[in-house]
Parts: sequence; C-alpha cells; structure tokens
Amino acid sequence: MAAVDLAQNTLDGLMIGSSYALLAIGFTLIFGVMRRLNLAYGPTIMAGVYLGTAAFISFGAPILVILAIVVIGAAVVGLYVERLCFRPFGEAARTASMVASFALWMQIEEAAMHLLPRHMNPFPPLLSAPPLQIGPLLLRADHLVMLAATLLIAGAVTYFLARTRFGLAIRAVIDQPRAAAIVGIHVQRVMMLTFVLASAVGGLAGFLIAATDAQVTAMIGMWATTKGLVAMMLGGLGSVKGAIAGGLLLGVLEAHAQWFLGPQVRDMVAWGLLFVLLAFWPGGLMGSKALDRTMAVGRRV
Amino acid sequence: MDGYLITILSNIGMVSFVALSAYILLLSGQISFGQQAYFGIGAYVAGIATVMWQWPLAGALLFGSLAAGAAAGLVGLATLRLSGIYFAMATLAFAEIMRIAAELFVYRRDIGGIESGPDGVDGFRDIRYFFANEFSPLETCLIVYALLATVLAILCIIERTRAGRMLRQIGEDPLLAEVHGINVMSVRMIAALAAGAVAGLGGGLYAHLMTYVEPKSFDIMLGVHALAYGLIGGLGTAFGPILGVLIDIGLLESTRIFHGYRMIVFGGLVAVLLIVRPRGLLDEVAVSRIRRALRRRRDAGD
Repeated sequence: MAAVDLAQNTLDGLMIGSSYALLAIGFTLIFGVMRRLNLAYGPTIMAGVYLGTAAFISFGAPILVILAIVVIGAAVVGLYVERLCFRPFGEAARTASMVASFALWMQIEEAAMHLLPRHMNPFPPLLSAPPLQIGPLLLRADHLVMLAATLLIAGAVTYFLARTRFGLAIRAVIDQPRAAAIVGIHVQRVMMLTFVLASAVGGLAGFLIAATDAQVTAMIGMWATTKGLVAMMLGGLGSVKGAIAGGLLLGVLEAHAQWFLGPQVRDMVAWGLLFVLLAFWPGGLMGSKALDRTMAVGRRV
Repeated sequence: MDGYLITILSNIGMVSFVALSAYILLLSGQISFGQQAYFGIGAYVAGIATVMWQWPLAGALLFGSLAAGAAAGLVGLATLRLSGIYFAMATLAFAEIMRIAAELFVYRRDIGGIESGPDGVDGFRDIRYFFANEFSPLETCLIVYALLATVLAILCIIERTRAGRMLRQIGEDPLLAEVHGINVMSVRMIAALAAGAVAGLGGGLYAHLMTYVEPKSFDIMLGVHALAYGLIGGLGTAFGPILGVLIDIGLLESTRIFHGYRMIVFGGLVAVLLIVRPRGLLDEVAVSRIRRALRRRRDAGD
C-alpha cells in the first residue's frame, strides 16, 4: 500500500504544484523586469478573485464571465500597484518600492474585505465530473484541467518571451535596462505591460485555485504571495522553467509532508527546505550557472 | 492618565523595539522579513524564566534578549553572505519555522498548583509577573520606556562613532566599504546580533505586559510592519522608526477616526509618502538639517 500512497501523494502534489507554478511565473516576470519584490502580488490576485466572486454571488454570472472578471480585475489592480509602487521610484529606492507594495497589500486586502466581509465565500466549481480512476490511483478532473492550463500558459509565456518582438524587448529590459533604453526600447512601457501581464497570469492562477476549491477565503492574498515567493525562490529567480520546477517541487514536497507528518509540519518542511537551499545553494534548482546572474540581480533589490 | 492611553503608549513602546531591530539591519543594507522571530524567542524565553523558573524580571528579560541575540547570530552565520531578496527570504523562512515550532512547542509544568507553560497553538498564557508583584500599568509602561530610552541612547551614541559610520557605509556600498578596509562580514554580524537582542528585549516585555504570547503574535505581519516603520519614519536617525510606529499605532489605530478603513487610508498614505520621501520623513538630509539648525541655535545662545 505504501507505494500506492507515495504515487497518489506525488500525483496530488503535482496537481497542486501546478497552481504554485502559475503563481511563481507571474512573480518571476515581475521580479525579472522590475528587480524589485512586489509584495502586493497576492492581494492583486485576491482583488480579481473577489470581484469575480461578488459577480457570482450577486448576479450568478456564468463561469466564463467570472473568469474574464477575475483576469481583468487582477490586471487593473496590478496596473494600480505598478503606478503607485514601482513607476515613481528610480534605481535608488528599491526598498521603498517593496514597502509601498506592502502598504498597498494592506489597503487592497481591507478593500476586498469590505466587498465580501465573510471569511469564506462560494466560488463556482470548474467541473463537476467524477474523479478519474487510473489503476489504484484517483485523479480529479479539475486538477487535470489546472495542470493542462499551467503547461499551456507556461508554453505561451515561453513562446512569447522567445519568439515575439515584445518578448525580445522584455528580455532586453531584464538583461540590461540601460542598454535597452539606448536602442530605443520604451523601458517604462515594457515594465508596465509586463507587470499587467504577470498580474493577469496571477489572476488566472487565482481563478483556477478558487474554482478547484469551489470556495474563496480571506487568506488567499497572503497564501498566493507566500506560495508564489517560495516556489519562485526554490526554482531560482528570473526563469520561467525554474518557476515551474519550483512550483511542482513545492507541491510534491507538501503533499508528502502533509501525508506523513501532518499539516503544521508540512509548512515547516517547505520553509526549512527554502532556508537550507538559500543558505547552502542560493542558485535554486537552476543550479550554480544561474547563480552569478541571479545574485547580481538580487543585489539590486 | 487613563488606562487606555497607557495601554496605547505601552504598545507603541513594545513595537518600537522590533522597528529598531529592523532599522539596525536596514542601516547595514540588509532587508530582513524575519525580526519577529527574535521578538518571539525573547517573549517565550523571558516568559518561561519568570513563570517556570521563578526568575526575577530583570534576569528573565536579559536572558530572553541574550537568547534572541544568540539565535540571530546562528542565523547570521548561515545567511549574512546573502543579500537582497535572498537574505529577505532566508530570514522570513527562519521566522516562519520558529512560528510553527512555537505552535508545536508544549512545555507544561505544575507551578504553585496551576499548570502553566507554553501550550502549542494556544500559546503561553498567565505570565503574571507584573500582576503577582503588584505593578501598576503606569509603572510597567515606565519600565518599557526606560528600556527603550536606554536602547535609543546607545544607538544614538554608536551612530556618532566610527562603528556607526562604518555601518552606514556598508549599507550604502558594501564593496566600497570592503575596499576601505572594513570587515563587512563582522560588522554585519555585530549588527545582526544587536538587532536580535533588541527584538528579544521587546518580546520579553510584550509577554509580561500582555500576560500571554501566542505564535500568531509574531507572524510575518509584525516583521513587515517593523520594516515599514523605519521607512515611513525615516532612516536618518534611530528616532525615525519610532516616529513610524507613532504615526501608525498612535495616530491611526488608537484614535479610531478611520475605523474599518484604517488600512485603506494608511496604505495609500504610506505609498504616497514614499513617493515624496523614499527614505522616510526623517531621512539623512532632514536629520543633518535639524542638527545644523540645533547647532546654530546653540551657537547663537552662547
């Protein structure tokens, strides 16, 4: 039976991990172009999800409309965060950006609580199909949709970064903002659009998570920020592949730790792994090759 | 003075210790999301010392502060070579590990017929030293401020010495400081030890004034708030973080004028304030202006 448990945990972990991966992709895009930490990332997602939930509760909006509201809501709130916390600050004031984004975290969360004061709210489920049976293993259909959506979005983001003109501009800004400006890239516009894009990806992640749970709690903002951050750090900063690897690893690790050690120790294991990785192997999963570059980026926070 | 005012003043005093702790590290150029861990360690250790071991308060506070400092030293060994977001995340990871460890920590004993001690998620209740020794709220508040004044005085003196200038230079540009012959690692280590001890002292006071401490009391919110206070109040002087605490707790929380909308107002206010003054109200420029004005007045008086 132990082997079946291990396989089932790993499978569940991969499914949950795919939502962490989506959160980490958004985080890593913002960190890549801004080189500053956006603590209001989770609350941005919360704002989108809460707007969608409010539409569901008040008008019984269909699920595709809710999806649109969540993604657009997150993108708009993301724009607000960018305008207030990132646009006004130059190279010198990275800490100020971070603290300002924390201030907006508090603000957005309180605004969301005014919109929906209850701790827990219903959210329309993605699918109501019964779980699939693969041999002795069970697989929830909506989890499969989440995994597929993650891979699709990760593929789209990678393609977008690697193959389109705007993606090239983003990579140029990530590598050398000043050089990018010299060759005629509108750096501030690229930063803003990347920020909005990342917030929309975050909104999509929030939608998938809420729909799989069929509920939203007031903890989703804090949850998205911490899980996204840990997944991003585990994978190594500034890489979409690292974000996916980090998210999946975090999911699998948590699933096993929860099964064998209980929910409190589960969180401790994730933080403990992060601490050990940072102390002894700060490049994350992408290894020491990425270390020099990411340390250089990290120094500028 | 009425009880409500004294409670608010005591709260401002206790949170100031964590704000100062984050400020010390900010000066050395390190952003820590985890100073709440040392606050928690100080609170638990000092509480255990008075309740379980029947120590006097001064010894318990000192021991709690030393334990927090020692923990900060150990964490520093593993994390101080990191910088930026890496350091911030490593300190946060440690703080979360400590918070969950406190949720699992049970150490119950029969003390004078009552079972007391830390009890996992329920926290550590009945830390009744002040009650048992018949301290009035005013007296406890004075103890908080006497200790805070001592810490502030030490910080202000250090900032005017060579060591203080070294700390600021490292914060400005660690590479340049290294070139100037400053041992960046050891100065940062001393800063981390001091920051841990200051937070631990605040935690010990908190446990005794509140009569209880629970793992929730030192979650990430306390740590990030502490960081924010320094940036709101200003990084030019040790009075900056205290001004930040005064603005948040003193002005917004206690007056209750924005009840239910406090965070909406405070969040917007802080964001706009930081645009105008990215290093806070009392930043280096403001502080040197004030110093010059004071000196001129003193000279004119002579």
